[in-house]
This record gives sequence, C-alpha cells and structure tokens, in this order.
Amino acid sequence: MKILVADDSRVMRQIVIRTLRQAGYDDHDIVEAEDGRDAYDKVHAENPDLVLSDWNMPNMSGLECLQALRSAGSAVPFGFVTSEGSAEMRDKASAAGALFLIAKPFTEETFRENLDGVIA
Amino acid sequence: MTLAPDAVGRPPQPRPAIPALIDEATVESIAGETWIALVGEDEVLVPIPGDLPEDTLSAWVDVVGPWTGSVVLTTGRQTAADLTRALLGEAAPELLDHEDVADAFGEIANVVGGNVKAAIPGPSTLGLPEVGPAPAVRNPADVCRIEVCWRGQPLVVSVQGALPSLPVPNTQHDNPHQNGASQ
Repeated sequence: MKILVADDSRVMRQIVIRTLRQAGYDDHDIVEAEDGRDAYDKVHAENPDLVLSDWNMPNMSGLECLQALRSAGSAVPFGFVTSEGSAEMRDKASAAGALFLIAKPFTEETFRENLDGVIA
Repeated sequence: MTLAPDAVGRPPQPRPAIPALIDEATVESIAGETWIALVGEDEVLVPIPGDLPEDTLSAWVDVVGPWTGSVVLTTGRQTAADLTRALLGEAAPELLDHEDVADAFGEIANVVGGNVKAAIPGPSTLGLPEVGPAPAVRNPADVCRIEVCWRGQPLVVSVQGALPSLPVPNTQHDNPHQNGASQ
C-alpha cells in the first residue's frame, strides 16, 4: 500500500512517518507532499491508497485539497492530522468526506485507532 | 440582519482579555502534552522560572477571532536547536541550518497554538507558524504567560493579545507584528 503524507513542515512529515512505523504500519510506501496543491497533484500522479494531510498549509489547505479531489471524482481515503481538533473542524472534515481527524499532539495508539480498518 | 433596537448606539462591548479565557494551568498542560508527544516521552517541562539568555528565538502562531493575538514560544537559540534535534531524532543532520530550526520550533508553536485556539471561545482562525524575534506585547493585561524549564533551560510560553488596551477607536485590524517582529 501507498500512503501520501502532506504537511508543509518537513519535521512534522518525519514525525508522522515515524509514528506510522511505530504504530506498526512499517511496510507501506510513503510519498511526501509539501502543501495541499502538491498533495492534489501527487494523488493523481502516485495513486496512493490513503492520504494523511495537515489542515493549515500554504498555497492550498488540506480541506481545499480534499474538496478539489472529491470535485475531480477522486475517492481516495483521506484523513487529517492537524493541530486543530475542534468539533467545528471535525464537522467540516467529515462533511468534505474525510474519514477521520487526528489532532496533534498524537500518539501511535491514536494512529492505530484511526487507521485500523482503513489500511491493512 | 438588523440590529435589535436596544443594541443601537451602545458603546462596543469590551473585548475579552486572555486571562478571562484561559488560565496558566491549561497553557502549561497543553505545552506539557505537546512536549511529551512531539519531543519525546521522557521530555517533561518543569514549571520553574528561569532567566532567558540574551540570544533568544521565538516561534509563534496568530489566532484571529473573538480573541485576537499570538501564542509565542521563546527560548535560547541553542535550546531551540536542541529541540530541533530532539524532534528530528535519527533524521537530524550533523549541522542544523536555520530552516531546520524554524521548521521544528515553528511546528511546536503550531501545535501549542492550535490547542490554545481550541480551548478559547471561537470561531477563530490559526495562522501559519512564524519564527524570529518575539512580537511585542501590546497590552500587558491581555497576556497569559508561563515560564518552564526543558532540560534545565528556560522557555516561556506567552499567549498575548495583538491589540492595544481599550479604550481606543475600533479601527480595522492591522498587522499585529508591524514593529518588525516577523522574521
């Protein structure tokens, strides 16, 4: 399986990838994207099985990326990993078609709870 | 939408100052959880004040909403570099450049700021993290500040309003960091 990790922070992308491995998802291919626009392009170029995206990013936010993907007909499984986990944002994420929203700071257990069933 | 008749002509309601919205214990708890999750399981923040060195670096995010201000982390430049190494772990390069430190320290501020935003009344928007000299305190009554130590080094978390104290004409929101505080 292939997982696309989108975050404008390189450090945070590394922490997300490290947490994926610690949570036991260590045999998947990882593709990185630097912002929502890059993620949108890489979903089409790389055809990932799951997108884990930050919300607040320059050029195109994670929410705008998800909305653009759905408008373009993509049904790629999509979850947010973001520093904002308010009920309002969870509602927005869900309405746009996100499967889950993981709030930072997170643990490997949080990853397992949200990703089990989404990826094998 | 029309205003209710009794709302017309009244002076504007006072803006809430941050001490009425969040307390120091909550900020300390948010920062502590962020450290354990991002920096490392054993990386505790000890609530002991200390004197910051002369050469400091700040990372912050802006919150704009019913309360408008910044969540600012300030520590010594060397401590910011140590934090970056702790976050990067094995991926840390031998020589850190400013971009690495700005990225790592900014991301810590982003996570602390996002959780502060979630703890105060909204709706609010969160800006992207910035790193540089700390933004100026505009209103000393609109500050919630904690001093902690990480690995024996002092660090300050300041949740500070971006607007000057009332009464002032309620002008259009301007750049809260116009005093050259960004970058």
